[in-house]
Amino acid sequence: MWTRGVRINHPSIAASVLEENAAAVMAPPFTPYTFIQCPCSDSSTFNRRSPPSTPTTHHHHSDNDDNDDDDDDEHPFDPRAPRSNYSLYPLEYLLYCEDCHQIRCPRCVAEEIVTYYCPSCLFEVPSSNLKSEGNRCTRSCFQCPVCIGPLSVTSLESHPDPNTLPVPDNPSAAPHGGPYILICSHCAWSSTEVGIQFDKPNSIHAQLAKLRNGGNPRMTAKERKERRKDLAQSLGSSYSSSSASGYTGYFADELDLDLDLETQFSNLKLFYQSQLANANTGGVGSGSSASGSGAGGAFGDLGFTSPTSLSRILNIYTSASSQDKKAKSRIGTMREALDSDEGLKIANLDESEAIAKLHAEGHPGTVSTSQLLNQTPQLHLGEPHLHGRSRFASELRPIPYLLRTKRSKRCPICRHIISKPEAKVLTTRFRIRLVAGSYIPSITIRPLSLPNASTPDPSALRPSKPAQFVLTFKNPIFEPVKITLATPALTPGRFPSKVTVLCPQFDIDANTDVWDEVLKDGDKRRKKGESMDSASGAGGVGGGQHQHQPAAGKIWERGRNWVSIVVEVVPASLRKPSQDEMPVLKEDEDLLEIPMFVRIEWETDAMGDEVGAVSGKDRDLPKLKRELAYWCVLGLGRVSDQG
Amino acid sequence: MRPITSTFASPSSLRAEEDIILIEFGTRKLLVGFAGDAAPRGAIWFGPEQQRRVGDFRAWQSDYHPDWRNGASGDQWGRDYELWRSDVRDLDLGLVGDKIERALRDAFTKYLLIDSRPRRIACVIPSGLSIPLLSVTLDSLFGRFQSPTVSLLSPPVSLAIGAGVRSALVIDLGWAETVVTAVYEYREVQCNRSIRGGRMLTEQTHRFLAKHLPHNQKKPETENPDESQEYVLSFEECEEITMRLAWCKPHPTSATAKPAEGLSTVEEHDESDDRRPSSATEQPVFAAIPLKSTSPPVTLELSYNLLTEPCENTFFDSRYSPASFDDHELPLHLLVYRCLLQLPVDVRSMCMSRIIFAGGCANVLGLQGRIFDEVSQIVRERCWDPVTGKVLEQKRGNLEQMKQKARARLAGSGPAGATAQPGAGEQDGVWHDAANIKPEVDPVDEQLKKRGDQLPQDQGELRAIESIGAWSGASIISHLKIAAVATVDRDLWQQQGAAGASKPGEVDPKMQQRQSLGAGGFMRGAGAGHNPWTLGTWGAY
Repeated sequence: MWTRGVRINHPSIAASVLEENAAAVMAPPFTPYTFIQCPCSDSSTFNRRSPPSTPTTHHHHSDNDDNDDDDDDEHPFDPRAPRSNYSLYPLEYLLYCEDCHQIRCPRCVAEEIVTYYCPSCLFEVPSSNLKSEGNRCTRSCFQCPVCIGPLSVTSLESHPDPNTLPVPDNPSAAPHGGPYILICSHCAWSSTEVGIQFDKPNSIHAQLAKLRNGGNPRMTAKERKERRKDLAQSLGSSYSSSSASGYTGYFADELDLDLDLETQFSNLKLFYQSQLANANTGGVGSGSSASGSGAGGAFGDLGFTSPTSLSRILNIYTSASSQDKKAKSRIGTMREALDSDEGLKIANLDESEAIAKLHAEGHPGTVSTSQLLNQTPQLHLGEPHLHGRSRFASELRPIPYLLRTKRSKRCPICRHIISKPEAKVLTTRFRIRLVAGSYIPSITIRPLSLPNASTPDPSALRPSKPAQFVLTFKNPIFEPVKITLATPALTPGRFPSKVTVLCPQFDIDANTDVWDEVLKDGDKRRKKGESMDSASGAGGVGGGQHQHQPAAGKIWERGRNWVSIVVEVVPASLRKPSQDEMPVLKEDEDLLEIPMFVRIEWETDAMGDEVGAVSGKDRDLPKLKRELAYWCVLGLGRVSDQG
Repeated sequence: MRPITSTFASPSSLRAEEDIILIEFGTRKLLVGFAGDAAPRGAIWFGPEQQRRVGDFRAWQSDYHPDWRNGASGDQWGRDYELWRSDVRDLDLGLVGDKIERALRDAFTKYLLIDSRPRRIACVIPSGLSIPLLSVTLDSLFGRFQSPTVSLLSPPVSLAIGAGVRSALVIDLGWAETVVTAVYEYREVQCNRSIRGGRMLTEQTHRFLAKHLPHNQKKPETENPDESQEYVLSFEECEEITMRLAWCKPHPTSATAKPAEGLSTVEEHDESDDRRPSSATEQPVFAAIPLKSTSPPVTLELSYNLLTEPCENTFFDSRYSPASFDDHELPLHLLVYRCLLQLPVDVRSMCMSRIIFAGGCANVLGLQGRIFDEVSQIVRERCWDPVTGKVLEQKRGNLEQMKQKARARLAGSGPAGATAQPGAGEQDGVWHDAANIKPEVDPVDEQLKKRGDQLPQDQGELRAIESIGAWSGASIISHLKIAAVATVDRDLWQQQGAAGASKPGEVDPKMQQRQSLGAGGFMRGAGAGHNPWTLGTWGAY
């Protein structure tokens, strides 16, 4: 939940480049952004096996020689490589382990579930129900299969009052008797469109499970058996069920066609279980095997049958893989299923009916890809295989809400909890939440607009025109930190831009109490002013009046717990020097993104929580040196394509 | 990340391990669920939205239009929607691993609602998957998800089990390719492939729609359709139209009626003639297809008869003679026929009456029936003769004449000789009378007979059966705790990688089982050097 307040970082691109090299549409104003690469992706196991770079990127690398030089040791991080999309996170998504002094991203935390709940009715679901009832709300919470809006139960008899809002979770709100339907208040889809009505206004989930689209009730296993018996009798008693394959051809067709997936699955399961039980008794022919095999057979017999105490104990104390390796030689004798009671189903390949329906209903009668994707296979368990018919709007099923979880997160290494929400569904508070933002410096970016600058729109970067940006590092911790920055001189990618960090090394003061700042204000101001004066030699540092010029090695501005520095970029031209034509740009290829390696050093008191880490000889040192290093990506702006 | 060995973990983690997570890997999607369930709990489709950075919500902005045009140069159209390609030469394997990881993480969080304790995993994974891709998959399962063991299951066998049969001909109409696999006694005995699959169908749909766009119709039609590599429609849209409207004409000579009913061909012919004029020919129905990704948006009016064109071109391509196809692009009916033809007679007779259609393109209306009918027709025309051609037909005619002459000659020599001769004896006496040969003993059948079970009787005629799907079949396998041939242990994999795998034949399953049972978690590390394990069929590629 702590991810809610994240701003949208990328502006949209309004189909900027059209087919014939058309004029660029003005993009909305660009907001600079920062992404941080979690250090865990370096030690990822994939690195050692995957090739260093794809041939295509390699080709681009050869364009700029600087990158090739340090290829052998460590690759400069390429934010544009497709893989880096998987390791970059906004600062707000990152957590921090206080004990390991390391950033933890969603990929490198161990999660534990605190609560399961339905996001619609906000009822907590006990974890034991999950195994039996699945991952969806089993009350009356449904999503519209067309627009995924919430569905509400309404009586079909009385037209619902349009003024009262439908209450999805309160069945008693449906006032009248009679058949009930599910209706979407957003797109006006109702379950009558798929021919489904309910007798009761509550426990819709259970009622829906027994209904097929069109309103036909599902045949239960018992009914199927009785039906089959009836049919067999009606055909005459001469066909005994033992000569099964003889009679299946005659009349089982109807039952076959009706065999829904769930029943087929359970029939098959039963069939295989009985076959395995038979096989396990070594073909002696004794039907019951539950008690015999566990004691009589070798270890391999365990697990096929009901869990005897022996097998249970063995399964618990042996390695996890052991149950899996059953004696596979034993399952050699198994016949195949012969009729629909054993799970065999003859396919009906005649789809002319569905084709005719397609011709009649056309495009509007079918569902879109996204609607189809929401129809997970679970929803259609009550029907025979749909195959091509799944495309029809008449086959849509209401979607029961997926349950959600509240999770607490642990550091995978030291197992300390780094995030723990309140167990109650309705509270959004956290008991523990160590967000990285309160441990590592935040970076904000703004274009440097000098008074005499001529560019009207500073966010539009012009090729080959130097542009300057102010990076402000804000230190959240209560120790002064030393920051070292490193960037490749040329950004990776097809269009390398030149990057110069004017002041790659600086200190930031500690994040002291705000009131301290006010009290010491005058003092500090004076100091800072002096240092600035002596350092840059330029004019005074009036609040906001930047009359000094950015210079190499100099801090631009400094505050209580923040420091601003200047980065100068020379954006590359998006045109190749040889040809005048614009090359086809991939999405975001005109974005100027700077990979930057940030190294933070600070000293902490070796105290309390680090007892484990500090050995005896360190204890006499008053301070303990810490460091943290990671790659981050600064998105500065879009390079305009003219000029 | 520190591995947490199950031996030292708390009892609660043991409980967690009882659920086996079952994952079916496909080129386009992952199906994820728990073993023992009838259906997967969720499906994750791969797409460009999945590949964005975390916190990049631009797709939700109302004025955002995916910039598909610039990414679609050449071969890249729609590649973002795939997990992998079988051509791994310029595939970033690390990226594949990242995609798998993110998809699984999403699925675990959204659909399975599980925490990150290590769990056993069973994978239904294409048996033709190359070692690099398999390694990447296993790496991410072991590395990121800390799974103690991963078992590999092959989709055709799972499909056969999901249909309740021991042998089957599995026609997997997949995305990248169509794979026809003959499964005999739960073993994949033969596998034929063709690139005619979902991707080709979507590309053909694109070509077809592009051809009918108003501004393209004015242009003189380029006669070489394979040249047009410029994409004017987004992949998403083409795929959606394929999903919605693609259908396949029934076979021209025979209706889709089941052959088991024994209708004569004449009747069937009439029936189909009756049906079609009413729906298609007399009053050609037009489908309105709204297209948004063209500039400007346009609505095409096309008749349904025309709409079968992409399907026709993709799967059957009857414009060209059968001889003009390369091995990798055989039309499906020929592919199925060839697969059956290459099988030994016994296996063929079992497989041909257990045809299972699976895969995404099985959703194309009428396609299954059409393939079935096409194959039946080939069988009717050519029987099981690998040799075709005009000369052969001539020779056949001659042979028939000779037979008749011979029969006429033999007619005098007595009734006994006449009944014994046809179909035998002509080939220099090498072929013996088939009726007198003792059939080979099938040990499984023998055992079943002893047990007094009924034996399957459907053999030798084409018949299609329905499977509950590869995922659900695998769910039964895992639920019944049937051992997978390839079960990979985490420690061994991380020590040895794919190179440490032995050939399937070299691994004694009993030996493996005894070791791990007896020694528990402690000895496994020590005995790792001489404890063979295998990747099964996956190691062969």
